[in-house]
Formats: sequence, structure tokens, C-alpha cells
Amino acid sequence: MTPFFTRLTFAFRTFCAILFRDRIPDDVAAALVAVRPSAQQAQTSPPPAVNTEATATQILAVLQRDGRLIDFLMEDITPYADAQIGVAVRNVHAGCRQTLQRYLTLAPVLHGEEGAHVTIEAGRDPATVKLIGNVAGQPPFSGVLRHRGWLVSRIELPALPRTGQFVVAPAEVEVA
Amino acid sequence: MNSRYVVGIDLGTTNCALAVRDASAPGDSAPIEVLQIAQLVNPGEVAPRPLLPSFLYVPGEMDFPAGSTALPWNPRPPYVVGELARKRGAENATRLVASAKSWLSYGGAQRTAPILPWGAPENVPHISPVDASAEYLRHLAAGFDCARASGRPDLTLAQQDVLLTVPASFDEEARELTVRAAQSAGLERVTLLEEPQAAFYAWLDAQGDRWRRRIRVGDLILVCDIGGGTTDFTLIAVSERDGDLALERVAVGDHILLGGDNMDLALARLLQQRLEANGQRLDTWQLLTLWHQCRIAKEALLSDPSVREQPVTLLGKGSRLIGGTITVPLLREDVNQVLLDGFFPAVRSDEVPARPRRVGLQELGLPYAADPGVTRHLARFLSRQASASATTASVRRGRGGLACPTHLLFNGGVMKAEVLQQRIVSVLNGWLVEEGFDPVVVLDAPDLDHAVARGAAYYGMARRGRGIRIRSGASRSYYLGIESAMPAVPGIPAPLKALCIVPFGMEEGTTATIPDREFGLVVGEPAEFRFLSSTVRKTDPPGALIEDWGDELEELGPLEVTLQMPGHEDATVPVTLEGHVTEVGTLEVWCMTRDRSHRWKLELNIREREI
Repeated sequence: MTPFFTRLTFAFRTFCAILFRDRIPDDVAAALVAVRPSAQQAQTSPPPAVNTEATATQILAVLQRDGRLIDFLMEDITPYADAQIGVAVRNVHAGCRQTLQRYLTLAPVLHGEEGAHVTIEAGRDPATVKLIGNVAGQPPFSGVLRHRGWLVSRIELPALPRTGQFVVAPAEVEVA
Repeated sequence: MNSRYVVGIDLGTTNCALAVRDASAPGDSAPIEVLQIAQLVNPGEVAPRPLLPSFLYVPGEMDFPAGSTALPWNPRPPYVVGELARKRGAENATRLVASAKSWLSYGGAQRTAPILPWGAPENVPHISPVDASAEYLRHLAAGFDCARASGRPDLTLAQQDVLLTVPASFDEEARELTVRAAQSAGLERVTLLEEPQAAFYAWLDAQGDRWRRRIRVGDLILVCDIGGGTTDFTLIAVSERDGDLALERVAVGDHILLGGDNMDLALARLLQQRLEANGQRLDTWQLLTLWHQCRIAKEALLSDPSVREQPVTLLGKGSRLIGGTITVPLLREDVNQVLLDGFFPAVRSDEVPARPRRVGLQELGLPYAADPGVTRHLARFLSRQASASATTASVRRGRGGLACPTHLLFNGGVMKAEVLQQRIVSVLNGWLVEEGFDPVVVLDAPDLDHAVARGAAYYGMARRGRGIRIRSGASRSYYLGIESAMPAVPGIPAPLKALCIVPFGMEEGTTATIPDREFGLVVGEPAEFRFLSSTVRKTDPPGALIEDWGDELEELGPLEVTLQMPGHEDATVPVTLEGHVTEVGTLEVWCMTRDRSHRWKLELNIREREI
């Protein structure tokens, strides 16, 4: 299995890109277009306007709510020992993972085993496969699968809240 | 006319479940399905779940953003029910109604009065235990209608045959109140069924025709049902009738408010003490997290015997997550000590549970079991089955008089833990060996979360002649209290005698007339009868008059009747009494004139009792 932090990085690229660059990463977007049959219809009838900023905030909000992810990322962890961090990360990981599985389905771009030989045929969208090493000549390319990639094949977020669309986590006040 | 669907509803103390069978399918081809129940799981998020947590939250102004509690069938529900209610209630218990079912069965409370959330300040709107139960049923009905009715009124839950389960230990008042809750939720075709029986029906359903080879005439099945809030025991005897196997429920236990929640709380308390001994103070929020994390750690330890310890982590509150994190290990020894020795101690069969201490000033609230030892309650249950009813099959008993089951069926969420099952089996087997019998055979229980709902749906089909039925009838004997005609002694109430009006096991749809006893009732004035019941006395026939019953009888709310007879003013009318067990599974007591020209129903007066 891929080490935890690697998985974490890849899994969150999508929403980080939405939040900070206001767009889904090209490779993921391209992959989504490829797996979604409804995408072609979208060209004839434009989809209803989606508030992408609010959606991005919502993804952060559910990861914070169920896994305290934003608290974790925003905290300065330099003073703490690895053991202390490790204990907390287990919980953050469990919560975030559950949430990801609930609202998204993540699938590899290529289904082979990492380390196995693969052939990339001509016409493959470079957004979905990144060639590294000594890339020269024309496809098909033959190489070793180093990372299977990730793409989102399902997003089912709850309806956007009517208020507080940019609230990642509400402030909490304990009333005595 | 039979309804299209037969629906079993498990209205549990901590979770509700609903199972449905399409009776219109040819033969018995349609399986019993568990219906996923749509509910709010977060503000603004409705999702299907296999269980509906029996929690109700009374939302205040600051609880949820506007519109975020909308349900597919109701844009502005007055209460939040289910998973979100439980979550939000953990943060703010003042507005949370929990364990409504336990309140329903507690005679010390005014159960039709708005008393919940218990102890909440006056500015929180209150709701009665009956209405809270009705809210859960209303939610289940709406969910069912969305999923199955497809807009046809004749397919709504209100019009289906609904089998609603209650603990076997529920007395007549609690059963009556459960029926009222169902009626208030609009369910028109409700029949009650005892939960342990439902669990056994679920086993029968899972076995198909094989069950006849698993049990024999003379066998005695103990159903041990330990849920989130209650512990319930039942004995089912196997006898023979017309050459075929017949099943009969021969004993039910007392109502014991003891369950999985108590166990999780006990573990959390232990860890809290350990943390506080290290100088760490926990706030309310952390205590709740501790409780929740304890449950997860406990399940991890119970499901894998090789794990020695499981860390319980409380993340730092506020935005200091790592810095404020507290960890404490939950050890296997803790689970063994607290759960096994605390809740399932290895005891002898003649041990009895500790009696509640009578303290001058007691905190009002639910009468939780004073003794957490489930095995001690079991010992008491089995040793009290000394007398079989005149009408029931024989109960296998050992040398010491202990009722000795041949088979054991587990039910309830707590019994998912194999370690706990094994402990009960080993304790019980110890008793059986002493009484001169072989060890019990444990029946494999399928899907403990939904067995009761599934079994209830099976029973619904059995009532239509498609499946075997357990002969059961009244789960208790019922009595009217009659004050003895004796010279009054100041300060001492006249001794009470008890007249049996419904014997144990009296079957649904039958009537017992009390011979040779007449009461003079004044027309136009309410007459009140004291009303008692017993789970232990099973041989009293209707009309038996008993005295000196020790602790074998307990008093319920009074029965009341007002006779109205045109043309009879200020008269005293002699009446006789009749006990009737309805098809629904509730009890009716009727007064009748000597010439049988007039009848009046005695109503349980539940409202009038003071706390």
C-alpha cells in the first residue's frame, strides 16, 4: 500500500486545486470527462451555474467536521514529537478517509500493479498519464507503472447550505 | 382485506428498525427486506441508514441553519429525529430526548404528560414519552411511504399490517401506551409482539424448514436479549400438538434497565479516572468523545482476542489539535474486569441481584437496575420459574428447581461480542451441570441489529397462516385489588387481596369471566380498581383470590370506569367482571350487568399517577 502521506497528498490535490486555483486539476478534469457519459450533453445544454467556491468550501467543511483536517493542516506541528503527531493523525486519517469514501469515489487512472510494465497507446490525453524518465520518439510508449494515479468517479455532496457557505467550521461557544 | 405489505417494526430503546415483506408475491417467494430509513445525518444532509437511532432533538433558534433540517416529506419538521438528533444531542443534552421507551415502561412517571427531555429547563418545549415514540413511528411511516407507497394511499404504512415489537417485560400499561403511540402516528393495523419472540421468529425464518430438525419435543429455549438499554429474558418450550412440533412462550422476565449503554459508560468512567489521576481534567465535550471512543475501542478489543490494548485518543479541543491531544490505552484487562466481571460475573445459580437501596431522598429519573450483573438477573429469572402455568407446556427443571434451557438464542447489539456470549454460555453451563444436565446448544442468530424487525415481519406472515406461530398469550397474570372487609385500624391500610382476572398465557382473542363475584357500582360516578400483575405466579385461575403474595405482585395504575345507565340515577348496579386479551395483544377488563344487557370497559388510568 502507498504510504499514508503520499495517499493524503494525492487525495487532497483535487480540492486544494478547487480552493486555491478555482479549478479542478487538468488530469482529474479530463479523466472525469472521460468517465462521465453526461459530459457530451453538457455541450448542448450548459449545466446550471454551480457555486464552485462554495462547493470547495463545503469539501473542506466536511473534512474538518469529520476529520479535523483543517485544524491539523493549520497547526504548527514543529514543536511536537513524532509519536504525539502520529497518535492524532490516526484519528484525522480515520475521519477524513471515511468522509472521502462517503462523498467521493476515488479510482486509479491505470489499473495495473505499480512496478508492472504498461504500454501507453497513441492518443492518450497527457492529462491522464504523465510520462517521466527518457521520453523520446512516438507512442506507443512502454514503461513501468510508478503511480496509478487517482481520479474522482463520483461526487455526491449534500445540498449546499443556504447560509454560511464560506464557513469551514463554525466557532463553538460553550454556554454554561 | 389483507394488506399488500407485512411490516415489522422494532421500536428500540436506542435504535429503530423496519423490515418489510411483500405478501402479494406468489408463494412465499418474497424475502423479508430491511428498509433503509432516510434521515438527517448532518444539517442539510439526508441519507439512508439501516437503523433509525431513537433520539429526538427539540431544535432551538441557534441549533441548525435555516432550512437545514428539511426532510423529503416535510420542509419544516418540528423535531429532529435519528442520527442528527443523536449527534447534536451529544453536544447539547438539554434538548435531547433519549430512551423514551424506558420512560414508557416506568410507572413512576406521567407518561402521557410532557416530561421529556427529562430535567430540561422550562423554556425548552417538552414532549411526552408517548408522543416521542409516536414521532419515531411517524418518521418510519414517512420513510416507508416515500420508498414503497409510490403515491398510493392503500400502500402507505398506515394501511399495512404492522407488527410492532415491545419488550416481553412490558406490562399492560406500557403495551397500551405503545399502541396509543402507534395510533397517534396514524398506524391503523397494529399488532404487538414481544421482542424475544420476534428474535426467535427471525431464527425460524433464517432456518426455513430445517428448524424442525434442530429442536425436539421437550426442549426449552432461552432467549437472552441485551440491547442498548434493556435486558430481556424469555423461555420458549417445545411441545407436541397433533403430531407436530408446537412452540410456546412459557416465561418472561422482569423489566431490567441495563444494557450496552451502561457498559460503555462504565468503561468511559474508568478511563476518566485514569486520566484524572494523571492530572488531566476533561470537559463535557471530551467526556462525550471519550464515551464514543471507548465504544469503538471496546468493539476492537472484543472482536479480536489477540489485541492486548487499544488506544483511546481525545483530539485537542479548539484549533490546537496535536498539542491538546490526550491518549489513554484501553487494556484487555479493563474490558475483562469491567465488562466480564462487572456485568457478566461468574455467579452461582442461587445468587440474587442486589436490591435497590432505599434512600430517603432519591434522584428522580429512570429506575436503572441497581445490580449490573446480567448473570445474576438471569439466575434469578431461571430460579423463579418454579411454577408452570396450568395451560402451558412443561418446563424442564433440574434437581435444585432451576429452569434448565436446552438451547440459547442471543439477541441485541451487546451480544454481538463473542466474548460476552461465551461468558453467558459458560456460566449457564456451570448451572446446568450442577442440575444434572448437558450444556446448552447455542442457536446461530443472524443479523442481531435487524433480527427483531425481521422476526416481526415473519410473525405477520405467520398470522396469515404462512409460518409457525409461538403460542404465547398474556405475558403476566393480572389481578384486581380488593380491600378486605375488616375493622379499620388507624394508620394501617386495610389488607389487600388480589383477584385474578387474566391468567398467565391467556390467548389473544379470548375472554375469561370471573365467576361468583359481583361488585356494586354506583351509576354516574367513577369507580376505581387497584390493578396488579405478576410475572411469577402462573397457576392462578381467573377468580382466584390471593393474599400474602410477598414480592410476587406489583401494582400498576388503577383501572377506572364510570357507569352511565339511562333511567338509573343514584342506583347501585351489581356487575360481574370479564378479562379479555385482544388480538392486538393488549388487555381489556369489562364490567357487565347481571342480565348481560350492558357492558362497560375499565380504562387504565395512566395519566393520574403522580411521580
